[in-house]
Amino acid sequence: MASKDRMMVTEPQEPRAPGFVWPTLICFGAIMLAGAFAGYNAAAAEAGDATLAPWIGPLIAAALGIGGLFLYFRRHAGWFRALSPRQRRYWTALGLSAVVGGIIGGWLVLDQPTGRSAADLFSSGVLSPGFAIGASLLWVAGLAVGMVLYHRAIDDHEERAWLWAGLAGWYAFVFPAPVWWVLHRAALAPPVSVMALFLLTMLVNAAVYLWFKFR
Amino acid sequence: MNNQLKVLRAMRNWSQAELAQRLDVSRQAVNAIETGKYDPSLPLAFKLARLFDMPIEEIFDDGFEG
Repeated sequence: MASKDRMMVTEPQEPRAPGFVWPTLICFGAIMLAGAFAGYNAAAAEAGDATLAPWIGPLIAAALGIGGLFLYFRRHAGWFRALSPRQRRYWTALGLSAVVGGIIGGWLVLDQPTGRSAADLFSSGVLSPGFAIGASLLWVAGLAVGMVLYHRAIDDHEERAWLWAGLAGWYAFVFPAPVWWVLHRAALAPPVSVMALFLLTMLVNAAVYLWFKFR
Repeated sequence: MNNQLKVLRAMRNWSQAELAQRLDVSRQAVNAIETGKYDPSLPLAFKLARLFDMPIEEIFDDGFEG
């Protein structure tokens, strides 16, 4: 029996890497919960009842979301500890960027007046000053910290991909921006759209990065 | 630049991921070097030379015949 048991013993499994499904579901659930609080408040206001303070819903949703993510990633702590310091910095930077992006995205959803469609999220519609200031601070601080961590963590190959991607993104701005500007001044084009140029540089940057990294 | 990385890796029965772990780079970096799409930096070339216990010029060949 003992020898049979010994034969049945399996090799210790390597710690499993965290996936994307559960973190996505947790973030989505937190956003939905915050939306439910916002919906409750809107319904209560319409009915003339007392509403909750506007920060209660987002705070509870954020706390539950962060708690859920913490519990999920704690299950994979062994995987994280087995990584080299460079890999740890890499995944910390990506995780931080995802959290900051998730918070800004969730906050943007909550900041929309009721009745607007999902497509309106990325329009040039009015935003509240609180969101505008908060999201700007989060974007700048999150990007600064995340990028320092990220660029200290990437290897030579990925650094080269980023250098070419950054250069291509720069040219994607430098070529069209003055052309569009002078064409507009001659009434031959609509006003220059900062976000269109931003999107173009991001798309070119991402395409070149992915080409050099994964071709 | 041609290199012997794939052969040296196969002789040790290492996967690209295993070699990447030993070099502390991504698997994509190892693949890009093996397929000649990326020439490693000098520090990484020295790391490879130390790992395989060979001079750099025996791993990499720039095609120069002086």
